[in-house]
Amino acid sequence: MSATDTEAPAATLLSVQNLSVVYEPTGGEPVHAVSGATFDLGRGDFVGLVGESGSGKSTLGFALTGLSKPPARVGGGSILFNGVDIAGMSSEDLRVQRQGGFAMVLQSGMNALNPVRSIRNHFYDIFAAHGHIGRGEREARAIELVGKVELPAGVLDRFSGELSGGMRQRVSIALALSLEPQLMIFDEPTTALDVLVQHAVMNTIRELQKSEGFTAVLISHDLGMVLEVTERVMVMHNGLIVEDRPAADVLASPQHPYTRMLLSHYGDPRAEIVEVPGLAARGPKRAPEVSHLKTDFVPVSAEARARAAGTEGVQRREGRAAREAIVVSNVSKIYPPPRRGEKPVRAVNDVSFTLEPGASMALVGASGSGKSTIAKMITGVEHPTSGTITFGDLQVDRIKRRSLKRLHTEVQMVFQDPYSALNPLHTVEYTLTRPIVNFSKLRGRDARRRMLELLETVGLTPVEQFAARLPHQLSGGQRQRVVIARALASDPQVIIADEPVSMLDVSLRAGVLALLDSLRETWGVSMLYITHDLLSARLVTDQIMVLNQGAVVEEGATASVLQNPRDEYTIRLLDAIPHPTTPTPEHN
Amino acid sequence: MTLTDKSPDQKPATDVAGPAHPLGVLWRAVTTIWSVPKARIGVVMLGVFVLGALFAPLIAPYSPTNNDFGRSEDMTAAHLLGTTAAGQDVLSQVIYGARVSVFVGFIAGLFSTIIAVLIGLSWGYLRNKTADVINFIVNLFLVIPALPLMIVIAAYLQNGGIGMIILVVVITGWAWGARVLRSQTQSLRSRDFVTAAIFSGESSGRIVFREILPNMTSLIVGSFFGAATAAILAEAGLSFLGLGDSTTISWGTMLFWAQNSNALLTGQWILLFAPGLCISLLATSLSLINFGVDGLSNPRLREGAKR
Repeated sequence: MSATDTEAPAATLLSVQNLSVVYEPTGGEPVHAVSGATFDLGRGDFVGLVGESGSGKSTLGFALTGLSKPPARVGGGSILFNGVDIAGMSSEDLRVQRQGGFAMVLQSGMNALNPVRSIRNHFYDIFAAHGHIGRGEREARAIELVGKVELPAGVLDRFSGELSGGMRQRVSIALALSLEPQLMIFDEPTTALDVLVQHAVMNTIRELQKSEGFTAVLISHDLGMVLEVTERVMVMHNGLIVEDRPAADVLASPQHPYTRMLLSHYGDPRAEIVEVPGLAARGPKRAPEVSHLKTDFVPVSAEARARAAGTEGVQRREGRAAREAIVVSNVSKIYPPPRRGEKPVRAVNDVSFTLEPGASMALVGASGSGKSTIAKMITGVEHPTSGTITFGDLQVDRIKRRSLKRLHTEVQMVFQDPYSALNPLHTVEYTLTRPIVNFSKLRGRDARRRMLELLETVGLTPVEQFAARLPHQLSGGQRQRVVIARALASDPQVIIADEPVSMLDVSLRAGVLALLDSLRETWGVSMLYITHDLLSARLVTDQIMVLNQGAVVEEGATASVLQNPRDEYTIRLLDAIPHPTTPTPEHN
Repeated sequence: MTLTDKSPDQKPATDVAGPAHPLGVLWRAVTTIWSVPKARIGVVMLGVFVLGALFAPLIAPYSPTNNDFGRSEDMTAAHLLGTTAAGQDVLSQVIYGARVSVFVGFIAGLFSTIIAVLIGLSWGYLRNKTADVINFIVNLFLVIPALPLMIVIAAYLQNGGIGMIILVVVITGWAWGARVLRSQTQSLRSRDFVTAAIFSGESSGRIVFREILPNMTSLIVGSFFGAATAAILAEAGLSFLGLGDSTTISWGTMLFWAQNSNALLTGQWILLFAPGLCISLLATSLSLINFGVDGLSNPRLREGAKR
C-alpha cells in the first residue's frame, strides 16, 4: 500500500481553508470563480457539490485535484491533503501524489480513452507510469478493476469505439480506481449519458464508494440526484458555498433561498397534481394565468401577453390558428448498416399517430428510441423508408427540396442545444430577420418591427438591446428564447420542440417551458414535445407517446399514462428520475 | 457576467454593440494576430518587404536595369552588394525584386484562395452527383505532381511574364486548400445552426457563404498565407529555371543570371545569397503570421500565448 497509510490516519482527509480561484483572461478583468471556500472532508465521506453552470463547482473540483489550467489559478487559501498543502505543489509532485492520493472522473471522461489503444493498454500504461503493480500481476489487477465497475473481463481486449457511452464511463472510473485513490472527484460523471444508463452508473458509483471506502466528491447540476446518492451536500452559487449540510437536512429544511429555489423545481411526474414555480398544474380546466412566480426567471408577463394578443399579428392568428393535422401512418425508417456485415438499423418501426391542430403531444424515450428521427421525418429533413406522413395537402414523406420551404412556413423546430443552434457570428437581429424576409413580404422597417415584436413575445426586453447582441453575450435561457422566436418568425402552425430544455439549468427550464406552453395557447400552434424528461412532459403536454427502440410501447393522456404506467419500459423511465422529495427504494 | 464551465470562450458582455461591422471583425483579427509574439515578428518582416517594394524607387541607389557600372565588382561603398556580370547594381535589384515576389505572392495567393473557397465550400456542402464530379477533378489536380506540371505549362506559355507565372501558380495551387476547406465545411454542415438556417428558408448559396464561410475565417486566412508562400517559392523556382521572363527584375531571375554567370566560381556568393535570403525571409514572415492566425478561431491559444 502507499506510504501515506503508515501515518496514523487522521479523521480529516482534506481540509480546504478560504480557497479562492481566479480567472485571469488576457485583456479582461479577473473574475473570482470561487471565493472563500472553507470545508473539511472526512475519510470515507460522500459529499455532493451542487450548483448551476457558472457557479464555480467544476472550477473548485479542478483546484482540489491541482488541475487548474490558465487562465484559472488558485488565488489564495490552502488545500491540505493529509496535512500537506497541495495548492502550491509542482506538477511533477502532483503526478506522484495521484497514486494513493486523488483522482478525478470527468464528464467527458468517456471520450478520454485513446481510440487506437485497447482498454487493457490503458490500464497497463497507468501501472507502468506509477510502477506500483508488478508485471505478472497486471492482468489480474486489470480484470479485478473492470469487475469492480461491473464490466466483464472481455472489455479489456476491446477498443473504446466498440463500447457504449456507459461502458466507457465505467472504464474511466475503473482507470481512476487503479491508483487506489483516497479521494475521488466525479465531475458530472453521468450528464452525457442516457437516462437509464445514468441511473445504473450512479448506482455503481454509490456501491463502489461503500465497498472501497474512498472519500468521494460528486459534482453535479442535478440536486435531485445528489440528494439521492450522497450523505452531505454543498450548494454553490456565484462562487460561494451557500449551504453545507447533511443531505437529509437539506431536503427537510433548506436554509438558503437558492437551495429552496432549486428544490422547488423537482416534482414527481406520477403525482396527482404536478406543478413547479412558473408552471401551473395541467388539468382539463386549467387556470388561465401562470399562478405563482417565486423564481428569478422572467416568463412572458401577463401584460406582455395581453399586448401581444391585441397586436395585429395575433389577431391574424385567430383565423390562422393551426387548422391542419400532421398524420403519421405506419412510418418506418431503416438506416444502412453502420459497418459491413452488420444488420441494418431500424430506427423507427411502424409508428402511427396524429398531431391534432392545437394539441400538445409528448414523444418520450431514452436515446436511441427513434424520437429525434421522427422529428426529422416530420420536418422533411429525412425521408421515411416506408409509410406516409401528410400535413394538409403536403406529402411530407416524399417532399422535394423545392417544397421544403412551403413546409417550413408551417412546421418549425426548436433545437436541443441553444449553444449550437445559433450562428455565433450573427446578431439576434440578423438571425430573426432572415426567416421574416424569407417567409413574408415584410421588408426593411416592417421586417425590423416584426423582429422586435418577436423578441417581445419571447420576453427578451428591452428589445432594442437584445436585437444588437451576439449569441455569446446571451445566457443559455436567453439563447433558447431567441431560438423559439426564430421558430415563430414564419408564423407556423406546428412547433416541434426537440428536448428544448435539456441543456438548460434547472431554474431556467420552467421559464422556457412556460413560454412554450403559453405560446401554444395564445398563438394556437400545435406542439410536438420530444424529451426523455417525464416531469417536463407532464407539465406541458396533454398526450404522450412512449417510444422504445423505434416502436410505440404506450400512448394516451399524459397524466393517466404517467400515473398508471402499463409498459415495463415506461416504469423503468419513471424509476430513473431522481425524487428528492420522496426517497425511493433501491431499484436493482 | 457569469463564468460558465461549459463554454470557456464566453466573454463578458461589455461590448454589447458587438463587432458586427466587417471592419470591426477585421480590426479584431489584426489585434489578435499582433498579440502573438511570433506573428508580430512576421508582420514586421512582411511590413519591411512591402514598404521596400512600394518605395523601391526612393530607397534603391540606382535603377536596377542600369548596366553602366563595372562588371562583377565586389562589395564597395558605391555598390554595397557589388554588381552583376552585366554591370547592374545588386542592392537595387534586390530592392526592386521584392516588388515581383510580393505582388506574385499576394495576387496568386489571393486567386488560388478564392478558387479554393468557391470549390471547397460548395463541394463540402453538396451531397449529390456534382460533389462526385468535383471530387474527381480535385483529386486529378492533387495527384499530378505540381512542379513538373508548372514547368510544362510555363514552357508552353513561353515568356508570358508575371501574368503567366501567376496563372501557373494558381492552376497548380488551389487543390490542396479546396480539400482542407471542404472537410471543415462538412463538419460545419451538420451543426444545428445550419439546419436552423434551412428551417429559416435560406437558399443553399446563402447558407454556404453567410452561415458557414464566416465560421472558417481563420482557416481561409491560413490557407491564403500558405498559398502566398507557395506562390513566392514557385515564382522564384520558375524564374530560376529560366521559365519566366528573364528581363524582369525578380529574385528568381537574379538567381538565374547569377547561376548563368557562375557567380559562385568567381567568388560573388552574395549574388546568390542576397536574393535567396530574401526569398526565405519573406516566406518565413508569412509562416510566422500563420501562428497568429491559429489564435483567431481558438481562444484557448490566445490565453496560452500570454504565459
